[in-house]
Amino acid sequence: MADWSMKDLQEWDEKICKLGEELGLDWYPIDYEICDYKEMIGHMAYTGMPTHYRHWSFGKSFDRIQTEYNLGMQGLPYEMIINSDPSIAYLMTENPMSTHLLTMSHCVGHSDFFKNNRMFSETDAPNVIDRFKSAGKRIKKYMEDPNIGIDKVEKILDACHAIRYQVSRTPGIKRKSHSDLKEYYRELLSNDKTGKYANFDLEKIPLEKDYNLLGFIKDYNRFLEDWEKDVIHIVEQNSLYFIPQAKTKIMNEGWAVLIHEKIMKELDLPTEYRLGFIRLHNQVIRPHLGRVNPYHLGYKIFRHIEDKYGFDACKIARESHNDETFIKKYLDEDLCNELNLFSFAFNRRDGYHRITDVSGGEGWRTIRDDLIKNIGLNSAPVVYVKELQKDGTLVLEHEHDGRDLDLAEANRVFSFINQLWSAGVKFTTIIEDEIWEF
Amino acid sequence: MSTFKEHKTIADRAASDRSRHRHKIEKAIKESIKDVVSEESIIGQSGKKKIRIPVRGIKEHSFVYGSNENNKKVGSAQGKEVSKGQRIGHKRKQQQGQEGKPGDKPGEEKYEIEMSLEELAEYLFADLNLPELEKKRFKFLTEEKMKRKGKRPYGIRPRLSKKETIKQKIRRKKAAIKAGVYNPDEDERFPFHESDLRYKHIAPVQKDNTTAVIFFVMDVSGSMTKSKKFLARSFFFLLYQFLNHRYSSVDVVFISHTTEAQEVDEERFFTRATGGGTMASSGLQKVKDIIEKRYHPNNWNIYTFYCGDGENWPSDNDESIELFEYLKEINQMVCYTEIGPEKDLSRDSLSFFSTFAGDGLWEKVFRLVGKNFKKVRLSTHDDIWKSFKKLFGGRRDG
Repeated sequence: MADWSMKDLQEWDEKICKLGEELGLDWYPIDYEICDYKEMIGHMAYTGMPTHYRHWSFGKSFDRIQTEYNLGMQGLPYEMIINSDPSIAYLMTENPMSTHLLTMSHCVGHSDFFKNNRMFSETDAPNVIDRFKSAGKRIKKYMEDPNIGIDKVEKILDACHAIRYQVSRTPGIKRKSHSDLKEYYRELLSNDKTGKYANFDLEKIPLEKDYNLLGFIKDYNRFLEDWEKDVIHIVEQNSLYFIPQAKTKIMNEGWAVLIHEKIMKELDLPTEYRLGFIRLHNQVIRPHLGRVNPYHLGYKIFRHIEDKYGFDACKIARESHNDETFIKKYLDEDLCNELNLFSFAFNRRDGYHRITDVSGGEGWRTIRDDLIKNIGLNSAPVVYVKELQKDGTLVLEHEHDGRDLDLAEANRVFSFINQLWSAGVKFTTIIEDEIWEF
Repeated sequence: MSTFKEHKTIADRAASDRSRHRHKIEKAIKESIKDVVSEESIIGQSGKKKIRIPVRGIKEHSFVYGSNENNKKVGSAQGKEVSKGQRIGHKRKQQQGQEGKPGDKPGEEKYEIEMSLEELAEYLFADLNLPELEKKRFKFLTEEKMKRKGKRPYGIRPRLSKKETIKQKIRRKKAAIKAGVYNPDEDERFPFHESDLRYKHIAPVQKDNTTAVIFFVMDVSGSMTKSKKFLARSFFFLLYQFLNHRYSSVDVVFISHTTEAQEVDEERFFTRATGGGTMASSGLQKVKDIIEKRYHPNNWNIYTFYCGDGENWPSDNDESIELFEYLKEINQMVCYTEIGPEKDLSRDSLSFFSTFAGDGLWEKVFRLVGKNFKKVRLSTHDDIWKSFKKLFGGRRDG
C-alpha cells in the first residue's frame, strides 16, 4: 500500500537536512518514529509525550480523537514533534511519501524553533523525556501503593489540572524563593529614600503576587503528604514545560510552514509527490472562516516580514519574539485587511454573537489587541496568590482585565482549590463591575 | 541527520486511562438515570421506545472567561464581506440563571445518551434482585437461549445488518460533509468503508426458570390525587420493568381497587382513573382469591405489592391487616407502599382521617414488618429510587 520504504525516507531526509543547513537553520537531531494511526492517536492524546503520566483525561481525549477520526471529522495531524534533544517526531505508516516529505521539512522548522527561540531556553530539552518518564513512574507508583491508590492520586491530579494554567507565564525567569525575595526587599527598604516602601510589610507571605498557584500550594500547605506535594510538583513542571509552546503557537507553526515551503521548493520533487504536497500545503494554510488558523496567520506574518525585510529578519524574529510581541510588532493594517480579520462577542441581550469590529479603517488596532488577548495563555484568566493570612486562609485574586469569569466554571475550580488547600480559601474577582467573592 | 525507526506496539498505552474514563461515564449515567426514572416521560413507555438521557460529561474544569460583550474573539473572513454588528452563528439559548444575576449556568458538557427502556433497565437493575426467591419444587429449569444482543462491527456475513450499516455510512458522510472533506455536490462517490459494517450479535443467555407471580395492587380511589397516583404508577412501573428485565417467567397480576377490586390488564392499570372510597381489604381479598385459584404457594414464588395513600376506611383496617398477615405467610415478600408525606401526629388537621391518626394502615402494619414484610413511604419523586434500592438492594440470590 505504501508508496515508500525506509530507504526512501533516509535518502530524502539527507536532502532535506542539507537544504535546512543551507537556509542557516540550527536544529536538534530528529528521531522519527514510524507508527500506525492508533499509536498516532495515542501520541496525540498524551500531548506527544511518549512517557506521559496516566490520567483519565487522556483516555477521554483518545476516545474523542478516535471517534472523530473514524467519523471523518478530523484528519490526523501529519506532524507531531516534541521539544526535546533529540527531537522526537512521528510519521504515520498510512501516509503517502508526499506527506512524509512535507512533515519532515516541517519538523526541521519546528526543531529549529525549539532550539533557537528564547522562550524555550529553560525547557532543558536534553532531559525532557527522562523527566516525563520519571514523573510517570512516580505517579504509577503512587497509584499502585496500597496506602494511596488510584482514587486519591486521581483526586489530586484532577484538582491540579484545574489550575494548571495558573503558573508563571514568563518562561525563562526562575521563580524566586521566599528568602531571596525577602533579602531583596530588605535591601530595597534600607535604601529607600523616596518613602515608597514605607508601609511595606516584610513579614507577609508572599511578598509579591505569586502567579504560581501550584508552586505556592506545594510550598506552603503543611498538611500535604510528600507524595501529594510530588504530584503537584509534577503537574507544575509539566505546565512550565508546555508554556513556551503555548506562548509561541502561531510563530512556531508559521515558521515551520515557511521552512517546509522553502525546502520543498528546492527539493526538486517528482510530479507524483509535488501534487500531493501542494494539496496538503494548501490545506494546512487555508484560512478558517470565522476563526484564526495559527498556521495561516503565522505563515502570513513571516512572509510579510520576509517581503519587507528579508529572510534574515525572519530568523531574528523567530529567535526573539513570542506570539504576543510578534503580532504587536508585525501584524499591520495591510495584513489585517488582507486576512479580513474581525472581532466578535456574545451579545447577552439577543443571544447572538455579533461582530464588533471589522478590518479596513481604524478598527484594525482594536482587532489586533483583541487577537492578542486570545492567543495562547492570554485566553486563560490570571489568578494569583495575594496573601496567606495568619489563620491559614489562602487569599486569591483574579487579575481582571475587563473580561469577566465564567462563574460556574470558577465555582468548580474554587472547590478544587479547596481540596488542595484545606485551611480555607478566599477568592475575589469582578463580575459586572462589582467585586465578587467566593 | 535524522534517524528512523519503526515503532513496534507493545500495548495500547491509553487502554487503562480509557477504561478509567468510561468507568466515570458509566457512573455518571447511573447517577443521571436516577433523575430520569421519576420523570413523567418514561412512565408507561414500552420497552423498545428510546429514551434520551442527559448525562453530565466528565469535564475537566479551569478558569475561563465567560461569554459577554467584553470577551471578544477574533476570526478571519478572507474573501467574504463582513460588517459591524453582523450576527454570526446560531442563537444560543440564554443560559438559565436567575433573572438579573450574572450567573452563567454551568458550562457543562452534556452528552445525551439514547437508550431503550431495556438497556436502561440493564443499568438500573444491575445490582438488584428479588429477595428471598426460593427455588420452588416444580418447574425449575435452567435454560440457555440465544438472544439478540446489540450490533457489532464484526461478525459473519449472514448476520450483516444492512440497516445499521447504512446508518453508519450516512453518519460518516454527514460528518465528512461537515468537516469539509467531502463535497456532496461533486460527483464523487462516497463508498462504504469497512468500519461501517455492523453485524447483529447474538449471545447465549442463561435463564432461571423460576416461577414467580407478582401482584400489583393499587388504590385508585378518589383520595388518590393525580400526583399520588403518578407516584404510585412510577413506582409500579419501575417495579414492572425490573421484574420483566430480571426474570423470564414472571406472571404479573394487576389489581386496582376502590371499595371493590378488579383484575385489570397492564394498560388499564397504569392509565385508568376512577374515584370512590377505599377498602384495602377488597384488593387483598382479590389477591387471596387469585392465589387460591391459580398460584399454589408450593409451586410459585409470590410477591405482593400494595400501594395506596393510607386513607383507608377505618372500619376496614382490621380486616386489611388480617389479610396482610395471611399473605405474609404464603408470600415471599409483601410490600406495603404508602404515598404521601408522613402524617404529623402532633398537629391536628381538619382532615376527617386525622382523628384516626396513629390508627391508620401505616401504623397498623408496623407489627407485621419483618423479613418478608416491608413498608415504604413515597412522598416525593426522589423516594422512588431510594426505596427501590432499599427493597431490592439486598443480597443476590435466586
